Amino acid sequence: MRRQPSARLSQVRDVKLLAVAAVVLAYAWWATQLRPFAATTGAAVVGAGAAAMAFGAHHRRRSARRLGVVDVAVWATLLGALAAWQVAAYLQHPRSDHPTLSSLANALLDTHPARALAFLVWLAGAARLARA
Amino acid sequence: MTRDLTLAGYAVIALAVLAYQVSAWRRRDRVTFGQFVATLAAWPPTRWPLLAGWLWLGWHLFVRVHWR
Repeated sequence: MRRQPSARLSQVRDVKLLAVAAVVLAYAWWATQLRPFAATTGAAVVGAGAAAMAFGAHHRRRSARRLGVVDVAVWATLLGALAAWQVAAYLQHPRSDHPTLSSLANALLDTHPARALAFLVWLAGAARLARA
Repeated sequence: MTRDLTLAGYAVIALAVLAYQVSAWRRRDRVTFGQFVATLAAWPPTRWPLLAGWLWLGWHLFVRVHWR
């Protein structure tokens, strides 16, 4: 029995998607085990983020909604409070007593699998932001 | 004590964010955090600073750090 052309197309699409996912996963694993502060690491991370943004921008939707004054005020207040608390912690020492978001994130991303997973989330965020 | 106080501050802000996010999911006249950021990312004056900030965040988290 012959398969429908649309079913074959969908199968090819699934295989392509799986291959892309495997490559992105392998890249995330590789990029998050590179030496910190090195130029190669910077290029590998920022380059991948820029590529994800280029992909997102290519599939741009342009369907953003209008923001109301109350929504802007509430989100700006919450983000402002977070920024103020973060700066207050940053200006005080020792860091163990006054953790910043960065120091908390560093503790969370201490293992290689956690770092690779966070890198994938960051890449997805880059594509999503650029798609808006 | 100071560490606990700092963490409590983050927790209070996170709870306030979560509360407004949940209320925005329930009420269609409110904007979720995702919709808020998506609108900023679509508006030209805030789009490029937001994208640049996201790249900086990746560099800050995955490049500029000493893993133990």
